[in-house]
Amino acid sequence: MNLTVDQLDTLQELVNIGVGRAASVLNEMIECHIRLQVPFIRVFSPGKMKDELENRLGVSLVSAVRLGFTGSFSGLAQLVFPTDSASKLVALLTNEEVGTPDLDAVKIGTLTEVGNIVINGVMGSMSNLLRQHLNYSLPMYLEDTVEHLLSSKQLEPNTTVLLAQARFTIEQLQIAGDIILIFKLGSFDALLKALDRIEEGEEE
Amino acid sequence: MPLILIVDDAQFTRRVICKSLQKQGYLTREASNGREAIGLLDEEMPDCILLDLLMPEFDGWDVLTFLKENGYKIPVIVITADIQETSRQHCFDLGAKAVINKPPKPDELNNTLKKVLGFTEENTR
Repeated sequence: MNLTVDQLDTLQELVNIGVGRAASVLNEMIECHIRLQVPFIRVFSPGKMKDELENRLGVSLVSAVRLGFTGSFSGLAQLVFPTDSASKLVALLTNEEVGTPDLDAVKIGTLTEVGNIVINGVMGSMSNLLRQHLNYSLPMYLEDTVEHLLSSKQLEPNTTVLLAQARFTIEQLQIAGDIILIFKLGSFDALLKALDRIEEGEEE
Repeated sequence: MPLILIVDDAQFTRRVICKSLQKQGYLTREASNGREAIGLLDEEMPDCILLDLLMPEFDGWDVLTFLKENGYKIPVIVITADIQETSRQHCFDLGAKAVINKPPKPDELNNTLKKVLGFTEENTR
């Protein structure tokens, strides 16, 4: 399936709005300014998407929270941090010191919840704009390389996916992270029709 | 002071909410999933339930449905990361008194609790 330039532009703006909402939520939690970059958005095969993400995020170990979504369209959303950024964020939120065993113990739970809230901010904004309800899986925490975050279990090799990646930085704290959305294009018809309805200003 | 039952699988959120409520003088109890929460009702009936939606085993939707079908009158405030309008409406359809999005702001939580529990300036004098 090919998306037109207009459709990609609209999707980019949609993701931008969602990421903006997510940044606002994160800002409330940590009370620091979040700097956003323009989201990157493109259609890929799963194999090429892995290569693209490795180029963008690197090959080192990362901490990630993953949420699956289904409904009119389906896919995966992930909040990804380099492991040192993840530790700093957890330390900030829990008032534990970086590097202590107590921090490790609460790290998974805290990051999972932060990821849950942030990803819901992104996807919920998009859902509300498109008026398409989404159902979510339970959030899952992972620590691995980018390559292994996207295993073949999640993405069949012959499907086409739409990748959206948005980087955010908390400069005051030297924390950086990425919001990654992977839409399975086989489920895209409903999304595209919803986009068309918005652009045409149709009422329900 | 009223007893508030906080139901959320995320310890982080339970801690944040408990601290906020205890500062306001509320008594709190915690449950990490819906099944545990239902079990606690037999031990001591809370004055209000703060309920997450997405939890393993017995989730928030299951709890709301259970309470409604079994005639419980305990007011429920849903506290959720899910900001979808459709989810919000579904909560109200199942009997929730209010829906607050995470992260819960202390003032919003306190004001909502007061409203749901029927507190007024006169009542507290």
